[in-house]
Amino acid sequence: MSAPGESGREALNRVWAQPRGWRYFSEVNNTAVGLWYLAAGLGFFAVAGVLALLMRLQLAWPWMGFLGPEAYNQVFTMHGTIMMVVFAVPIMEAVAVYVLPQMLGVRDLPFPRLSSYGFWCYLLGGLLLLSSFLFGPVPNGGWFMYTPLSGPEYTPGLNTDFWLLGLTFIEISAVAACIELIVGIMKTRAPGMSLDRMPILGWAFLTVAVMILFAFPPLLLGDVLLEAERVLDWPFFDAGRGGDPLLWQHLFWFFGHPEVYIIFLPGAAMVSTILPTFCGRPLVGHQWVVVATIATGILSFGLWVHHMFAAGIPLLSLSLFSAASMAVAIPSGIQVFAWLATLWGARPRWDTPFLFVIGFLVIFVIGGLTGVMVASVPFDWQVTDTHFVVAHFHYVLIGGAIFPLFGALTYWFPLPSGRLMDETVGKWSFWLMFVGFNVTFFPLHVLGLLGMPRRVYTYPGGLGWEWLNLTATIGAFVLGAGVAVFFANLAWSWKRGRPAGHDPWKAGTLEWAGPTPLTDSGGASVPRVRSLHPLWDQPAEMAAAARGEALMCRPTTHGRETLRVSAVSAEPQQVIQVSGPGWSQVAAAAATAVMFGAGTFHLWGVAAAGGVVTLALLTRWAWHSDRQPPMARVDIGQGIVVPTYAADHSSHAWWAAVVAVLFDGAAYLALLSAYVFLWLVNPVWPPPPWEGRIALGDILAGGGMLAVAAVLAHAGAGLHRRGRHWALPAGLGGAVAVAVAVAWTGLSTLTAADLGPTRHAFPATVWVMALYTLVHLGVATLLALLVLARQAAGLVTPVRRMTVMMTVLAWDFAAFTGLASMAMLVLWPATGGGGGICTW
Amino acid sequence: MRMAVILIAAAVLAGCDEIPPEHRVAGGDAGAGRRTVADIGCAACHQVPGVAGPAGMVGPPLKGFGRRAMIAGVAANRPEALVRWLLDPPAMAPGTAMPDLGLTEAQARDVAAFLYTLR
Amino acid sequence: MLQSALRTATPQAESLAGLWWLMLGLSVAVFAVVMALLAAGLLMPRRPPPGERVIMVGVGVTVVVLGGLLVHSTLVGARVAAGTDGDPLRVEVVGRQWWWEVRYPQDGAVLANEIRLPAGRPVEIALISGDVIHSFWVPGLAGKMDLVPGHPNLLRITPAEPGVFRGQCGEYCGTQHALMAFMVVVQPPADFARWLVGQGEPAAEPADGLAARGRALFLSSGCGACHTVRGTAADGRVGPDLTHVGSRLTIGAGILPQNVGTLGGWIANSQAIKPGNAMPVFDQFSGGELRAIATWLAGLE
Repeated sequence: MSAPGESGREALNRVWAQPRGWRYFSEVNNTAVGLWYLAAGLGFFAVAGVLALLMRLQLAWPWMGFLGPEAYNQVFTMHGTIMMVVFAVPIMEAVAVYVLPQMLGVRDLPFPRLSSYGFWCYLLGGLLLLSSFLFGPVPNGGWFMYTPLSGPEYTPGLNTDFWLLGLTFIEISAVAACIELIVGIMKTRAPGMSLDRMPILGWAFLTVAVMILFAFPPLLLGDVLLEAERVLDWPFFDAGRGGDPLLWQHLFWFFGHPEVYIIFLPGAAMVSTILPTFCGRPLVGHQWVVVATIATGILSFGLWVHHMFAAGIPLLSLSLFSAASMAVAIPSGIQVFAWLATLWGARPRWDTPFLFVIGFLVIFVIGGLTGVMVASVPFDWQVTDTHFVVAHFHYVLIGGAIFPLFGALTYWFPLPSGRLMDETVGKWSFWLMFVGFNVTFFPLHVLGLLGMPRRVYTYPGGLGWEWLNLTATIGAFVLGAGVAVFFANLAWSWKRGRPAGHDPWKAGTLEWAGPTPLTDSGGASVPRVRSLHPLWDQPAEMAAAARGEALMCRPTTHGRETLRVSAVSAEPQQVIQVSGPGWSQVAAAAATAVMFGAGTFHLWGVAAAGGVVTLALLTRWAWHSDRQPPMARVDIGQGIVVPTYAADHSSHAWWAAVVAVLFDGAAYLALLSAYVFLWLVNPVWPPPPWEGRIALGDILAGGGMLAVAAVLAHAGAGLHRRGRHWALPAGLGGAVAVAVAVAWTGLSTLTAADLGPTRHAFPATVWVMALYTLVHLGVATLLALLVLARQAAGLVTPVRRMTVMMTVLAWDFAAFTGLASMAMLVLWPATGGGGGICTW
Repeated sequence: MRMAVILIAAAVLAGCDEIPPEHRVAGGDAGAGRRTVADIGCAACHQVPGVAGPAGMVGPPLKGFGRRAMIAGVAANRPEALVRWLLDPPAMAPGTAMPDLGLTEAQARDVAAFLYTLR
Repeated sequence: MLQSALRTATPQAESLAGLWWLMLGLSVAVFAVVMALLAAGLLMPRRPPPGERVIMVGVGVTVVVLGGLLVHSTLVGARVAAGTDGDPLRVEVVGRQWWWEVRYPQDGAVLANEIRLPAGRPVEIALISGDVIHSFWVPGLAGKMDLVPGHPNLLRITPAEPGVFRGQCGEYCGTQHALMAFMVVVQPPADFARWLVGQGEPAAEPADGLAARGRALFLSSGCGACHTVRGTAADGRVGPDLTHVGSRLTIGAGILPQNVGTLGGWIANSQAIKPGNAMPVFDQFSGGELRAIATWLAGLE
């Protein structure tokens, strides 16, 4: 345990100490990774901001020759892509990774190495995307990458591929963040922080993580289908071969619309955090704001078609999406009213974070009002794809996310630095940004109404657009100056700012419980929480906790550990050992980058090598996971004794596995939806050449075998749990054998049926469905082999069986996708007129 | 307003030079000439300072036209010759690609006056 | 303000503009109230916060306003989409990278980047994509409607009175999306009928020797591989039909006025004017040759 004579605090400092020098980057703890994440995000923000200034220069006057059409198109594509997916979503994840553990009163989130892997993938992915400026084929199809423009015929270069490459990495880091945040928020909070005592920021990130869980998979599927069309000529989006360009729009906007709220909800939660602090009173209507946050998350999935109002979709369906788009204004309204009520007669302190909050309110209300306007279908017919919409979403996104974010950066700056940002410079940066922002974007509303479309590199004179554009360009440079001043303030104050001391803003939440800057261990002990604002309501207890007199004031299992609690009432359930510094996540991210980067250049050999190395590193990582400390139960203080290991459905690891499968399942559901969508747009489905190509018997046999594989895995795992050690190799080995047989017969059946995926979207989709299941059978097989190897090494026992549970889940999911795909193939076309793919 | 910026731009481009007496076009209105240049699309072939338009690369850019010695290499750069050129270029240089654009005499005078502001 | 959504010439666009003014009024009112509450809340002397009931009141008001707006907007949308009764003129518009082909199928007329319509008669514009997704947008006449491969769309408008309107592609469609514009000329019915008959006819014979030389050069230089001039051997389908190019207001998809000068400049070096467009640079002609071709084309009225 601890060295002789070592105090609890010394032991904590020793196990949580961050490595020095270049080894610092082997750190996985949230206080380090969160900072890198923030720094990288702000770096990408600066790059995309400069791109915006280039665009505004080109548009300052008609027929400017500053950027040519191709350069402009690349610049606006990269501006949008970087801002939306390489800056906005990751920076919110970064804030969550950095601040949430402190705010929830825990030492770390449950999967620090996973978070760290996510960060490195993100950084490398963003840099690879930017590297297209060096190689030449900069993405130029817009951040929405509409097919067929982005497809192989109209963009034969690697431009689209670079975009897909960058997005793949963002997807990886988003999955990592989504698992970490959902499990972290639900399972690692200070004891007593029941859900009703959880700060709004926790609710917002929980909502956002669940949104990522369901919004990102359809985009991932879309990416895969688009890359398959580009590289393999599988025509999912080619109207001439049974595909449909609108399929891409549905997949993209099912991601793209929730994405906007994924950015906005954390921004709003930052406001709900900062505003009560500066008003010195709790947020009025806390529960209302929680409900509004969740409602926004749900409604945001019902809005995606409002990006397609002009696509010719029947008016009746448009009206439903119009209604949903207007309805989402209601939860936003709830939040605005809650903030106004909190401010009412509060005589707040006007420090910089609060200024940013007020700036947010003014700008966001305007963006919300124009949001209601564009939710009106007929009005949107006029302004969609014009500068009116550019104005609208910059009001919502800069107003709704950047202003709160900059306020929050100022607010939380003392946590890592121990210092306050300079107030005078901070106020300058705010006013420059606020004035510059409005001068830039307000005129764009008018420009849109005067007929100026978006995404145009130039425009003729005489249409009344000149002066408004010139004004906007001047405003953009003022806004840019404001951002530059803010960045300078960050850099200057990091070492030279006024020392912040303890709780400089007199806040009520746990991240301010200890001294600033934060210690590596994240606090001398973990307090028991009895209020939404522990620092306001239980000051004595918090002071005691800061002195190390509460729970977990010494490491009990030799290593870094955090406390797992029950999801709703936050009662202690387990001490979890979490990872410490190491390089495997960095190496795995680098290998992943080699795999996808080489694949982009069609260097298949290098890509395959990268894939093998990635797999090996992940296997090694998995080998060392599922740790079982030698002491079964430990005393964490105040007489609370909890286990150090658990392999049941309340375990954080199980939750993580379920979240991962839900993500995967959402991608699979998107695939089935794509199949149904293509069935709806094609007059005959399947097209005549593929009618009756596969014998029903073959399908039934395949389905039967899949079910057998899953049952074998279950039986083996179940018997093993009851002490029959032989059952695990028997069950999993049998499942693997059946999987090999399924793969063999499946592939030969599909090959014999001559499906020809390049000829039509139908066979291409069938192939993707088949490959989906085959890949998952492959993953399940690898997991089974890993579990058997671990069993042979003594790392899997009837008690230590979390990896067994996860492996069985993988078999269940693989079998489920196969059975569902087969059912779809057999049943759906058969009921849709025309013959099915099966001979009955 | 719009005129103001164009005049400022023209003034900057012209290095604030006064237009010399030999380039004063009787009855020519430079402002009207500039509008005519924009309206008939001279930018299809020429880059014209002070007139927003595409960067035509067929004929010579007209920057500094007021300081050029020759018109199309065939005539001394004087108002009467310029007006005559604008009215019917092939009459002065049969091999030229520049067509008779159908300008009226008054329009040609305005355009000439405008061209001499480009110094 | 050729392209303003607020200078309208059809009942459809007028409904949309009306919706805008209504929503603008509502928004200004809401904004003023919220800002007044914000300012009052910030400036008033210290007092305890109001209860959660104020949120309920706010939500109630929001729901009522939004509900009313939704109903009104849906009704406007249905009315606009339905068009007006009457015997419609059918026009087909094909969007291509980066120009518009316009056909009057009943009259055999084909032209580019210009649509003429009779005042007072309903029009059905069939919107077809020739390559990628475009969006047809004449703000003064109607809202946008996309041209999606595999999904022909139909736009119904009723131009009320004569006038000239500019339209432009509304969906990003590649390099020259910015310069994919067109003109719409609404004419008195009689003028329109005369124009349409003319557009259906083959190209006029050259008026003089220069034009005749131009026609010969046009045909011998391979221009006909991409362009059609009805009445000559030129029957290409890649670029715009030039049979009556001299009657059009603009060239290059609405970016330059059409005249003998701009035609010559376009032919000689269209890549400087509209980089990336499908027409190569034709810089092999002598000055006289270029002038001859441009003169012939400008004469094709």
